[in-house]
Amino acid sequence: MSTVDYLELLKLAAPETIVVAAAVAVLFVDLVIMRDEPMRHRLLIGGAVTGLGCLVALLWLAKVPVHAAVLGGVLVVDPLTQWVKGIVLVLTLCTAALSLHAKFTEHVGEYFTLVLLATCGMMFLVSSDDLLTIFVSLELTSLCLYILTAFSKRDRSSAEAGLKYFLFGGMAAAFTLYGLSLVYGLAGTTNLRAAAAALAGQGLTPLLAVALIMVVIGFGFKVAAVPFHLWAPDAYQGAPTPAAALIASGSKVASFFVLAKVLMLGFAGVEGSGAWRQFSAGWAPLLATLAVVSMLLGNLAALAQRRVKRLLAYSAIAHAGYLLLGLLALANSDGRPEALAALVYYLATYGLTTVGAFGVLGVLERVNGSDRLEDFIGLSRRAPGLALCLVVFLLSLAGIPPLAGFFGKFYVFTAVVGAEPARLGLLWLVALAIALSAVSLYYYLQVLKRAYVVAPVAGADRIVLTWEDRLAVGGLALAVVLLGVFPSLLLSPLGAAIQVAGY
Amino acid sequence: MSVGLTHYLVVSLLLFCLGLFGVLVRRNLLVMFMSLELMLNAANLALVAFARYHHNLSGQIMVFFIITVAAAEVAVGLALIVALYRQRRTAHVEDLASLRL
Amino acid sequence: METLCFYLFAALAVVCGFLVVANPFSRNPVASAMFLVLTIAALAGLFVLLHAFFLAAVQILVYAGAVMVLFLFVIMLLDLKEEERRSWRKFGLVGGGVAVALIALLMYAALRQSPLGAAGEPRVEGSTAALGELLFRQYLLPFELVGVLLLVGMVGVIWLSKRAVP
Repeated sequence: MSTVDYLELLKLAAPETIVVAAAVAVLFVDLVIMRDEPMRHRLLIGGAVTGLGCLVALLWLAKVPVHAAVLGGVLVVDPLTQWVKGIVLVLTLCTAALSLHAKFTEHVGEYFTLVLLATCGMMFLVSSDDLLTIFVSLELTSLCLYILTAFSKRDRSSAEAGLKYFLFGGMAAAFTLYGLSLVYGLAGTTNLRAAAAALAGQGLTPLLAVALIMVVIGFGFKVAAVPFHLWAPDAYQGAPTPAAALIASGSKVASFFVLAKVLMLGFAGVEGSGAWRQFSAGWAPLLATLAVVSMLLGNLAALAQRRVKRLLAYSAIAHAGYLLLGLLALANSDGRPEALAALVYYLATYGLTTVGAFGVLGVLERVNGSDRLEDFIGLSRRAPGLALCLVVFLLSLAGIPPLAGFFGKFYVFTAVVGAEPARLGLLWLVALAIALSAVSLYYYLQVLKRAYVVAPVAGADRIVLTWEDRLAVGGLALAVVLLGVFPSLLLSPLGAAIQVAGY
Repeated sequence: MSVGLTHYLVVSLLLFCLGLFGVLVRRNLLVMFMSLELMLNAANLALVAFARYHHNLSGQIMVFFIITVAAAEVAVGLALIVALYRQRRTAHVEDLASLRL
Repeated sequence: METLCFYLFAALAVVCGFLVVANPFSRNPVASAMFLVLTIAALAGLFVLLHAFFLAAVQILVYAGAVMVLFLFVIMLLDLKEEERRSWRKFGLVGGGVAVALIALLMYAALRQSPLGAAGEPRVEGSTAALGELLFRQYLLPFELVGVLLLVGMVGVIWLSKRAVP
């Protein structure tokens, strides 16, 4: 048994520790010092402490390069996990910036604490190879998100959305756990890599297949893949907008990354194949199926939505489908580094874009009090800058060049096509994905049409934007454009990190 | 016939499926939560059995954690029910219809 | 003797588990909760048979003690009497039953075909000292993480169950 060097451990887990410390500090400052101050000040101070915590953690990630796996894989820190954690932190930072005008609660301290602790859960989720730690951090993230979803006590649908999210999430947790316990039982270890090594050469035994299916079902709930997506539209709609942004961005990044890790490392050797006419059992065909139905149902159901949050939810389901395709590309170890870089790039740009879209939505909700499609009418005249940002975000989600969303899709699809040695065996999936992306353009344009073309009713005044809105939404739009024009800004460091980390 | 690992796993499997059945079929939120507990307990039994037969204590540690996590989860879930009940006077899934599925 | 105990506890767990989810005599959540306590106690018995003595104690203390008391407390708080009368949805009942039975059969088939018999003789003793050693060395980090999780639970529950300020 390894002895533990606690200082070394603290150094490795420093970013997470900083985030937890910031969470406790927010709670303390708000409940003890700021209790009787006006709401505006409390929000600003709470947001500032949250932002400070995230920034310090980011700085630490950037300045202290570490590369180690300690305690038998319970904590694995390598350049790639550092990058993904950085992405999660940036997304949290943006979420915090969007929360500065929150009208849904007076409990500022609790709100920011939960946001930070959810982030902490996501960070541990990203940097662990251990079944137990993955489960515990998954639950930590989920619990925070359930509570955040139910955070608005004024909104009748908020508690209900939280409860639905909880029920589905609880079931997902049970499935994941049972699957993980079977993996442990078959392999006799809680470490993913060791488990794969112990199971190597056995192929897909029936019980391992059961474990695989259960794990995929559990994570399918988490990433809102069809047919496990039922909670997503309700949770997005009922949750306060910044909380919905966090669920759609940070939690998705972390869940997809850990799913990739579990499948790639823990179920190495039972990949199977989803290639046309060459199906063989394993996780690849399973993911292919989920990806197809997610893309189909997500895109088609989004066409019928009248509320923009639900529209974004179904769009998120469709994007989960594309991302599952990206996971599929990891099944073959040949092009794995490129495929992994493509996946993380997609996750990062998707997260930024989604937070941005929710940011615009949040501003509109504050002004109009709802998120109906009609509320977007005349946006280009009421707030030209905001409308422009909306164009950037929605077109990026649709995958129009030269925005980041296009390159995300491009790299992922290329990786998928290249992942099949039988040459183009997965082309059918990519063709479907491209066709459905074209469909998705329709519903994004429905929103933009209202913002730009439909004449506004008289009496709608200009929307006054605060500096926080400008900073957050504008910065995000800029990032989406920049990452689209210069994808190598993110891709080349990711590639280098993956090489060093040795996936 | 002596009792082996498979016997314990069958019991665990039965409990898991009973819990799943409860979550899918029952409409009372409290009973649904209890069914979730049943599913988690099924995993616990499997883990303890595996730990015993695999010469490795990690499984027991996992159960230790799962019990704690489950307790926190139940507390949050019940608080959600209480919050909802304050608004709606109900603890039934069918009444959660202001958001459509 | 051990075999007898196993079958006794296993039967108790499964029967009570069934009565938690589908009690034909009562739809009262209190009855479900009581049967869940029995299931948990039976599981603790199985843990003892598996030589996980510490976990058996924790199971009784935390689950049967704390968690179930919480359940009962909320049931009493909400006073859900009138809602017992709701009817079962026949379709959901049959559909769910068939689906779950199928899943159970598949999993059972998978279990029968798996090479678990080679797992060998049981050897591990769940001594509390060994557990503690593992808990505070290899699994130190998740242990701390669970502390954070409990903090989340506390903050969340206090906030959720507070009345909204009018």
